Amino acid sequence: MLFQIDFKAGKPVYLQLVDQVRHAAASGMLRAGEPLPGIRPLAEELRINRNTIAKAYAELESQGTIETVPGKGCFLKANNSPFTKVVRDKLLEKEIDGAVVTAHHLQIGHEAFLEMVKERLDYFERKSAASNDESSPKTTPRRKE
Amino acid sequence: MKESQPAIEIRDLTRRYGKLEAVHGLSLTVRAGCCYGFFGRNGAGKTTTIKCLLNLLRPQTGSVRVFGLDPQRDEVAVKSRLAYVPDAVAFYPWMTVRDTLEYFASFRAHWNRDIENDLVKRFGLDRNQKAASMSKGQKTQLALITAICPEPELLVLDEPTSGLDPIVRREFIETVIGAYQSSDPANRTVFVSTHLISEFEGLIDEFTVIEQGRNLLTMNADDARERFKKISVRFSAEPAKLVLPGALQIKQTGREAEILANGNSEKLMAELQSQNPEELRCESLSLEEIFVASKVLTQSAK
Repeated sequence: MLFQIDFKAGKPVYLQLVDQVRHAAASGMLRAGEPLPGIRPLAEELRINRNTIAKAYAELESQGTIETVPGKGCFLKANNSPFTKVVRDKLLEKEIDGAVVTAHHLQIGHEAFLEMVKERLDYFERKSAASNDESSPKTTPRRKE
Repeated sequence: MKESQPAIEIRDLTRRYGKLEAVHGLSLTVRAGCCYGFFGRNGAGKTTTIKCLLNLLRPQTGSVRVFGLDPQRDEVAVKSRLAYVPDAVAFYPWMTVRDTLEYFASFRAHWNRDIENDLVKRFGLDRNQKAASMSKGQKTQLALITAICPEPELLVLDEPTSGLDPIVRREFIETVIGAYQSSDPANRTVFVSTHLISEFEGLIDEFTVIEQGRNLLTMNADDARERFKKISVRFSAEPAKLVLPGALQIKQTGREAEILANGNSEKLMAELQSQNPEELRCESLSLEEIFVASKVLTQSAK
């Protein structure tokens, strides 16, 4: 799994890692039950603090994306969010609001925006389906973000 | 973890050399388990401060505490819990790598042989080579091994990577991240003074910029990158002089301008957007850029 850290993104490094794991999960790059990189090798490779990675994994665990097996490491969980539907909607709404604001600043209109959302949904669905075909088709399509 | 004893606590430290005031009223606190950057230009007072931590110099006023202890009174207790890699490493020239490691291990209550073997192999050092014939990079690698094998709670690094080639520098940092913090990371504190900031960017949790012996800026690294931003804007026609209340600095050249923002980048972005620019971008300042601009940044923060 490839991580890309950008110190200029204005987003805390641990949140960049969180986003990238969630992205990998949504696009099927990482499947349920598969391990995440160990903290030490990943820290050395990215040359970032171990605390940062530990913080990212803790965040992912609290979101229900991954689980820690003591002595074995962290693994991607099957897709069952610990949050209620109302909370999930609220969380997604916040993210959508962010994209809407960005679209406004970039002068991307209503129709074009919806078109792009649809295109991205299709993209993730296709990628996820493709990666499921490669192995045993055991998992259901994932929640899109 | 927050209530636990800080690894380092410096209060109003002052140290003069004759008339020259190297450190003037410096205060800072380093939490245990954190990686702390200590940035400053040459002659800013970094090494003087570090020498006070190690009781190589005595503070003239103010206090220095390491693990809550006074390095002057409890020198042995403090030194047995920390390790230090200076900028210029000196070993006894007649000793081989093997002798040097034995010599250093003899002062320590605890010495991790596995780490020693691992790192000697990783750095490709020859145990029979004498220190006299070692390169600067090899000496620094050897110094790092002698600092990490005792698995100290605090690792003090003073300009550790200056003068090293990029590959050795990379290995050095990977070793600090990997080998040093491999067990019990909550009790592994790193205090690193450097002006090669970009290399340590990912490692630093918190930092202090010291200037003329004073603490100019202390911040959490993520907070700093979130707060200080650089906005680049380009207009289709040369605009009148940009007026942006709240901007830290505006550099305007022709159709383009670069604006420094201090926590108000969204407001400034909205304002610029309303002037219909051709291009508008916003990115965080890196720690190095924050260090370079720290004077400007702190002027308006007050």
